[in-house]
Amino acid sequence: MRRRQVLAVLLAASLALVAAVACGAQVRESGGGGGSQGGGGGKGENAPVQLAVVPKAIGFDFWEQVRRGAECAAQKTSGQADVQWDGVTTETDVNGQVNLLQNFITQGVDGLVYAATDAKVLSKVTQSAKQQGVTVVNIDSGTEPQPPDVPVFATDNVAAAEQVPELIAKELGKEGGEVAFIPFQQGTVTNEQREEGFKNGLKKHPELELVAEQSSQSDYNKALQVTEDILTAHPDLDAIFAANEPGVLGAAEAVRQAGKAGDVVIIGWDASSEEVQGVSDGVISALVVQNPFKMGYDGTNAAIKIIREGAKVESEDTGSTIVTKDNLQDPKVQSVLNPSCENPPV
Amino acid sequence: MSSTATTEERGGSALRERLSGAISQLAAAGALIVVFIFLSFASPVFLSADNLFNIGSQTAVTAVIAIGMTLVIITAGIDLSVGSVAALSGVLGVMMMANAGLPVPVAILGGTLVGAICGLVNGLLVSVAGLNPFIATLGMLTVARGLTFIFTNAVAVFGAPSSFRLLGQGVLGPIPIPVLMILLVAVAGYIVLSRTRLGRYAYAMGSNLEAARLSGIPIRRYLTSVYVISGALAGFGGMIAASRVNSGQPNFGIGLELDVIAAAVIGGASLFGGQGTVVGTLIGAFLVALIRNGSVLLDVNTFYQQVIIGVVIWLAVIWDQYRRRRLAAASE
Repeated sequence: MRRRQVLAVLLAASLALVAAVACGAQVRESGGGGGSQGGGGGKGENAPVQLAVVPKAIGFDFWEQVRRGAECAAQKTSGQADVQWDGVTTETDVNGQVNLLQNFITQGVDGLVYAATDAKVLSKVTQSAKQQGVTVVNIDSGTEPQPPDVPVFATDNVAAAEQVPELIAKELGKEGGEVAFIPFQQGTVTNEQREEGFKNGLKKHPELELVAEQSSQSDYNKALQVTEDILTAHPDLDAIFAANEPGVLGAAEAVRQAGKAGDVVIIGWDASSEEVQGVSDGVISALVVQNPFKMGYDGTNAAIKIIREGAKVESEDTGSTIVTKDNLQDPKVQSVLNPSCENPPV
Repeated sequence: MSSTATTEERGGSALRERLSGAISQLAAAGALIVVFIFLSFASPVFLSADNLFNIGSQTAVTAVIAIGMTLVIITAGIDLSVGSVAALSGVLGVMMMANAGLPVPVAILGGTLVGAICGLVNGLLVSVAGLNPFIATLGMLTVARGLTFIFTNAVAVFGAPSSFRLLGQGVLGPIPIPVLMILLVAVAGYIVLSRTRLGRYAYAMGSNLEAARLSGIPIRRYLTSVYVISGALAGFGGMIAASRVNSGQPNFGIGLELDVIAAAVIGGASLFGGQGTVVGTLIGAFLVALIRNGSVLLDVNTFYQQVIIGVVIWLAVIWDQYRRRRLAAASE
């Protein structure tokens, strides 16, 4: 009997403690004054600016380019800025990213340059950061709502994706054909925007019929599996649009394994070296290539400018390039595909 | 006399248990057949040679790892780290070929060995340090994933020779090599579970660990071996997955443990230990694969797939609970 009473008391106490901590945490977040961006008037000239640059996830070529751009920008300030790069392991780990960003804020960074895994959830983190005097800049994916003093350096995904049905129509000609769509993650801004652009573009091309839509969940193996099955279900499939790197690689691999390389038009997004190889090999017809290097570069520079000068920086469309076998060797295209700090595509 | 009666009772209850285990497998097999027939009618392409071929290849990774998981679950344990271990093995295996130039078969063994080492750590944590298997393997889940990112610098590893593709994409006559791998591992698993000491001890440890310990079974050695096998199979599965995409993907296998555990549980393995068979697990693995394949063929949203698989797991576990209660009631 006594043991049970002790256990009951302990349980009640721990529940009370959890409730107190939860409420306590809320109180702390909404307090802390109303600091504005840049800490009002710039940081001292001598101390290097501490920036945390956080992608949606590490492990993809796209984010590696962002890192190179950010580090290039920091390098060019000759020691005036320090970039810390960190991220969660999967683009779906929203909570993980929230925790990571909050830890950076606690650590006392001067600025956060990040890509939001979830537009609505991360807007709270941006708010919290600003209240604690941390400058925020978004890259690739912003938040909802997007505060007017937090610039976004991203591709206009809607406009870029609208070009895709054009590209497909050009390849297939007047009779058109069956098209499959491989998005990656419902709920992220970039996914929604590319889907919107693609479907807008499709409306202008009634000869193209959307017959299948399956998410790759940003996993190469998963993309391979769903594309295999789509090809089985639609043996007359003429084209596939995959909206990010793992989706493109999985779709290309499935088409190759089915022996249909060259018969199925593949339009992809981003340009990892394997994707570019796919273009050279003729498996992938075209890639919509963003400029992740520029996102990292301009985003980092913007954060430094806001912190040092208290300036206001505007959002920017970092643009997209259509890469095909024909323009692969173009110097401009090459500088986007293989950006370096010596020859930045900015 | 009383001892004869006890022997008969014991014999009777063992028979009942085996019968009930068989019924459970029949139920899973029944579900598999129902889904198969449904898909044959619902989709005109389901029964095509290409599709059946694909299903076989797509199931291989889950099935191979699930057989290892079955062994662990029989001991009333669990291995949550299989997804991460598969990824770690895949990237290291590919690096062995791409960076160190090792021949393909050596790298495949190497990847499997990486998995076995992770399994060894799990096993020691459980049997020597006395950690709860859930906690021990949960730790390995994050450690292995972290190591995967450290070794690859968070970028996928390419550069394996194209002969590596044979493991996950090759054929021997009409049979896909991944399906052969399922058969190989299944036969080996069956032999281990039904004919070796390890198998017998695994069932014993799972049914009643204390009794097993008191009857002199060297728990540490055998329990550790069980986790080593699970890890090795996770490693081998990881190599098959890497071969399917001819690269080491650091993001591979996130959430894979759920499909693997689902396969084992649907096939009749009980999380309370002492129950589980290779055949049952294979049925479970194919059931999950059919649901996934069928969903794409029928143009069903990814998220509905997850709901369906979750519901199937519930039904399997509820059936298992019901079966155990009937068994306990019958032997009173």
